Amino acid sequence: MNCEELIHYLSDYIDNGLTEKLRVDAEEHLATCRNCHVVLDTTRQTIVLFRETHREGIPVDRRSALFGQLEKAMAARRSGRGMP
Amino acid sequence: MLPPTPSIESLRAGDPQALAALFEIHADRVYRLAFGLLRERQAAEDVVQETFLSAMTHLAQFEGRSSLGTWLYRVAYNASLTRLRARPSEPLPPDEPEPGEPPLPRALVEWDQTPEEMLLDAEGRRQLEAAITTLPETLRAAFILRDVEELSTQETAESLGISEGAVKVRLHRARLLLREHLAEYFGARAAQKEGEP
Repeated sequence: MNCEELIHYLSDYIDNGLTEKLRVDAEEHLATCRNCHVVLDTTRQTIVLFRETHREGIPVDRRSALFGQLEKAMAARRSGRGMP
Repeated sequence: MLPPTPSIESLRAGDPQALAALFEIHADRVYRLAFGLLRERQAAEDVVQETFLSAMTHLAQFEGRSSLGTWLYRVAYNASLTRLRARPSEPLPPDEPEPGEPPLPRALVEWDQTPEEMLLDAEGRRQLEAAITTLPETLRAAFILRDVEELSTQETAESLGISEGAVKVRLHRARLLLREHLAEYFGARAAQKEGEP
């Protein structure tokens, strides 16, 4: 496997989606290619960084207000006063 | 702890507890997907409202081929795209063709911090925000659902209304583009440190 092929399979490698043969080929390449190893490492770091920083849900003060509005809109629909 | 998933029958019957459970389980994910695409709190809240209202109104059309969750995310994704397309300043291409092979990575330096250290770094967080904002929305949605929400490829495909193959292509491209963007900052900083006496 060369660098270009490794990059092509990188996401599947990270997600454990490669066939056994491709996985072994990828690991052999990674063991000897520092650049591809850096790309693998920093891609994994990228995923962790976004996973950790993009987990904020609905702001607490807005959550119950939003649900309240939804209940009201549903009630209006049920009673036929709301929009169709 | 999240409540158990309500049955479709209880939702169709208008059971208020079923609606509350559905909201409790899925509202944050719907919000994060919408916020991830729209980058605006109020617009994301509007999408949450619209998504649940639309879903409850069209429950009769829910065929159960996907889960209630992915069905909701699909409604939210389409509602978000509709809003994005309506923004005159940032029109989306009507149907973005599947991207080809992403460019080979250029920044090849180890980063100088662990992810934990990076999270405490205000400039680092700004770089994260800048990186995700520059990502095309279709790639961003695939990345958010797969890597942030940790949905499976199949669930992501159902949520976005695309094939699993297309999810993999978009995710791969998104990861490489985000990495490249961050590497310009974190890698350059590491290289600079190495050069210091």
